[in-house]
Amino acid sequence: MVDDLILGMAGSGGDGVVSAGESLLSAASSEGYHALMTKSFGSQIRGGESSCRVRLSTNKVLNPGGALDVAVALNWDDFFRFGAELPLSVATVFIYEEKAGPPPATLKERGVMPREMRAVPIGELAKKSAGTDKAKTSVVLGLLSGWFGIPSTAIARGLKKKFGNKGEGLLEANERALATGIEYATAHPLAEQHTLALPTKSGPKLLCDGNDMCAAGALFSGVQFFGGYPITPSTEVMQTLSKEIWKYGGVVLQAEDEIAGVGAALGASFAGKKSMTATSGPGMSLKTEILGLASLAELPLVLLNVQRGGPSTGLPTKPEQGDLFQAVFSAHGDVLRPVLAPTDVSDTFKITVEAFNIAEVYQTPVIILSDQEIAQRKEAIDPIDTSKLEVLERRRPTEAELVDYSRFKLTADSISPISHPGMKGGNYLGAGIEHNEKGEPTASGTMHARMNEKRFNKLDPLKKRTDLFEVSGDPKASIALIAWGSTAGVCREAHALAVARGLKVKLLVPYLLYPIAEEIYQSFFASVRSGLVVELAHQGQLYRILRMFTDVPRGLKSLARSGANPFQPSEIVSRLAEMSPEVN
Amino acid sequence: MTTRGIDYDRLTLKDAFDLAILVEEEARDRYEELAAQLTLHHTPAAAGFFTKMTGIEEKHRQQLQVEREKKFGSEPRSIQVELLYDIEAPGYDEVRAFMSLGDALRTALASEVKAHAFFTEAVRNVKDPDAKALFSELCEEELEHQALVKAELAKLDPTPNGNPNDYSDDPVAL
Amino acid sequence: MNAPAFQAKDFKSDLKPIWCPGCGDFGVLQGLYRALAAIGRPPHEIAFISGIGCSSRIPGYTTAYGFNSVHGRSLPIAQGVKLANPDLLVVVAGGDGDGFSIGGGHVAHAIRRNTDLTYLVMDNQVYGLTKGQLSPTAPRGLQTVTSPLGSLEEPINPLLYVLAYGAGFVAQATPADMPGMTALIEEAIRYPGFSFVNIQSPCVTFGEDDQQLKAHKAKMKTLASLGHDSANQLKAMDLARAYGTELYTGVFYRNPNPPPTYDALIRLRQAEQSKKAVPRNRILDAYLQK
Ligand SMILES: Cc1ncc(C[n+]2csc(CCOP(=O)(O)OP(=O)(O)O)c2C)c(N)n1
Ligand code: SF4
Ligand SMILES: [Mg+2]
Repeated sequence: MVDDLILGMAGSGGDGVVSAGESLLSAASSEGYHALMTKSFGSQIRGGESSCRVRLSTNKVLNPGGALDVAVALNWDDFFRFGAELPLSVATVFIYEEKAGPPPATLKERGVMPREMRAVPIGELAKKSAGTDKAKTSVVLGLLSGWFGIPSTAIARGLKKKFGNKGEGLLEANERALATGIEYATAHPLAEQHTLALPTKSGPKLLCDGNDMCAAGALFSGVQFFGGYPITPSTEVMQTLSKEIWKYGGVVLQAEDEIAGVGAALGASFAGKKSMTATSGPGMSLKTEILGLASLAELPLVLLNVQRGGPSTGLPTKPEQGDLFQAVFSAHGDVLRPVLAPTDVSDTFKITVEAFNIAEVYQTPVIILSDQEIAQRKEAIDPIDTSKLEVLERRRPTEAELVDYSRFKLTADSISPISHPGMKGGNYLGAGIEHNEKGEPTASGTMHARMNEKRFNKLDPLKKRTDLFEVSGDPKASIALIAWGSTAGVCREAHALAVARGLKVKLLVPYLLYPIAEEIYQSFFASVRSGLVVELAHQGQLYRILRMFTDVPRGLKSLARSGANPFQPSEIVSRLAEMSPEVN
Repeated sequence: MTTRGIDYDRLTLKDAFDLAILVEEEARDRYEELAAQLTLHHTPAAAGFFTKMTGIEEKHRQQLQVEREKKFGSEPRSIQVELLYDIEAPGYDEVRAFMSLGDALRTALASEVKAHAFFTEAVRNVKDPDAKALFSELCEEELEHQALVKAELAKLDPTPNGNPNDYSDDPVAL
Repeated sequence: MNAPAFQAKDFKSDLKPIWCPGCGDFGVLQGLYRALAAIGRPPHEIAFISGIGCSSRIPGYTTAYGFNSVHGRSLPIAQGVKLANPDLLVVVAGGDGDGFSIGGGHVAHAIRRNTDLTYLVMDNQVYGLTKGQLSPTAPRGLQTVTSPLGSLEEPINPLLYVLAYGAGFVAQATPADMPGMTALIEEAIRYPGFSFVNIQSPCVTFGEDDQQLKAHKAKMKTLASLGHDSANQLKAMDLARAYGTELYTGVFYRNPNPPPTYDALIRLRQAEQSKKAVPRNRILDAYLQK
């Protein structure tokens, strides 16, 4: 029995390996497994090669995982094209289409040769059972069910979902292919048993990706306006809201470009509505000027940046943590805007709600830095308890405050009540030019200093938000492991493995990336002598920002690598072990 | 013609008062606005003169107002300010930063000439005899105003004082 | 007769315009006050959006809610405001550079969406705020600080530009004819849909002598005096070709059958979809696997 299973499949787009992965995911999640799926494609829009990884587990899945437990190749070329994303080990059970011929030399050259290589006449079985070799993936699902114990009833339900409305005949054909796969597996048992244990806790799961959870979080927060321009890998947020937002009296505007998108969103916020935009690197670059306007005019606005590899078009379908500098620093003028980062699909929901709350309460733009992996990986997760989640609103002026109203009144907490058009007595001039308390333009240095102080001071409470930091492990540990965004998932697993190996390691995952909560870091660093800040970007941007704002312990190093080359928990553990005096 | 939609055939004495009051109001407000513009743009002599004009126009308005109230009490106006543009008020394009006092006086003079033309026309067109009498009176007054401004002009040093634009700094880019 | 609900002075703010004395924008502002008074909506129900430029300062000089945003982006912001709250009266204003150079790309889209906005461009054929550089509406050959040897480019024709994209209301005005301009602004605001008024508003500091109000007074011709039928879109385009040579004022085109506005359509969609709303704590159910 195993409680964790990582599968990888590759084929041509026409083989439907991705949709097979989706069936598997949906089947597993409906049985109560935790599950996670990532996809990867060639650069063709249609007709390219495609692959997917599915990780099934009886426990919470933290990341897509490392080497595959099961690999499926429908054709050798396609499989090797995804080499780095589908790593093998000697323990991998490798299933391949018999017709593709014996494993080519390339497999040996990659250094690991799986012990169990299974040639299966997949196409032939499909043809025999379903009347077409197109039903290959249904045979594969049968094999996986038979060999690894994934409940076939659940898979059958998945098939029904996929083919049910395409005609009775098609569904039945695929059901036969599934049964044939199962029979084949039963008739040809594996050398070693790999049956997946039953889920510890059954119960319904949510099946969704990070972009879904961002859209849902936005709706939960009461978003009323979305302005944006399509860009991979953020577009799904706009697509979901385009369907949903109307129900709640909101609007999605597909703007002519990113500038117009964020401009319209800011206009809606000026008009008093909760508002957001979403984009990725190139679009983020265009939105920068209006973000500055939002800061100066003190208007709430949520901006989601789903990071992809960059600069420029870069790697549009791969994750990278390379936009942190941009989120924090890309502004003219001396300005501070909060930056939050979710670390997985589930917390994308809460971080989005948090982003809206911060934006509204502090009257500021807030950037959510997601990345392609979190945004687009599909996960079966435990339902999210929303009962304790607060939804906060901007502070509106009272009747009394509307008499001789001052939009930018200097208050004790530096937050001024904000009016909006339609509110009698609240009339004011919003502007990008510096203003006095009344909102009137000014070029006074004194006033500028005072307003800057206000804009910075109002965000100070954020630096005390310990709930926006996950700290785990022995508080006295001398080795630190720090990660943010999708890399946090790998580090959580690495941390558990390291502790199991007896290493004195503690973990810090910031959800609030900026402003830097100096005191929280400083108290975390107190016992630290060495450690790693793990980031998927060549420069290791959080590491550098920490060095800028905190007294980083001398032994804390950056473990950084370009995007699209995910970290494996094992390599992080070995690096930590090297740092550990106790083990050396 | 600078008026819009004034129906002289039906214009009553009360309307004539109101029209005249509105003309003075517009002129007063415009002088005040121009004085403020020129103050903000460091042209104090012209600004000072326009402030003076603001007072004069306001005085005229008050005199008319008193007369009107004597005759018609607080009966509402039936004429709208939106009908009137630039009758006794100098046009917005008549002023410039650093304009001389002489130019300011000439601007005011031109406006009085404009006003005189307006009331002359009104006298010609209006049917109501009382209204006609009022407009004739106003015509006379405008002539007096012209004389006043001309006298001020005569007091100015006649020697040319150069073009202020030749001495001023370049405008500032914002 | 009822006293009007608002007077021009109700729309005048305490802020003193920084414009050069003599600037055409003063007249535009005055006309706008009067047009707004005639419309009769209270200032707090008006959102007045602009970009950056001398002309874009205008919202601050009114008592309406104003947003003096960034260069070239007034239209997107204004659309956000209007779509977020269609009850507001939304007026957009700015310069020729703001609207037809940096913001030019947005104009076509504002028109094709037909959001109920009124867009006033104060066209002075120059960049005022930055001190007299070449503007996109400046005539070929114009010498400016950035075209000291004369510009080598044809100007954009703002009238033809918006007509070509199908704007439902297109007019041109000049503060040299205050009553005419005021009436046009009012009519534009009343038009249900995207309306555009190109206001020839001279820059006295950097503009050409033959573009000043005195010159306007001498050469302006009303379209009415030419017998133009404003329902005739093709004829409107023909007349608009004279931009830069003739100064025609009045309504070039007014769609006699205004199509539904974007803001009205989204209201319908919201009403129709609102039946499908679920309570906040059920939003995630859409992802539940059973
Ligand atoms: C992104 C950006 N680029 C340039 C500027 C500088 N700038 C301010 S206003 C302006 C042009 C103003 O011309 P116009 O829009 O015609 O307005 P006017 O001042 O003539 O009324 C420029 C180039 C800016 N504010 N922002
Ligand atoms: S520079 Fe030109 S456009 Fe700007 S305020 Fe002065 S006159 Fe008006
Ligand atoms: Mg201009």
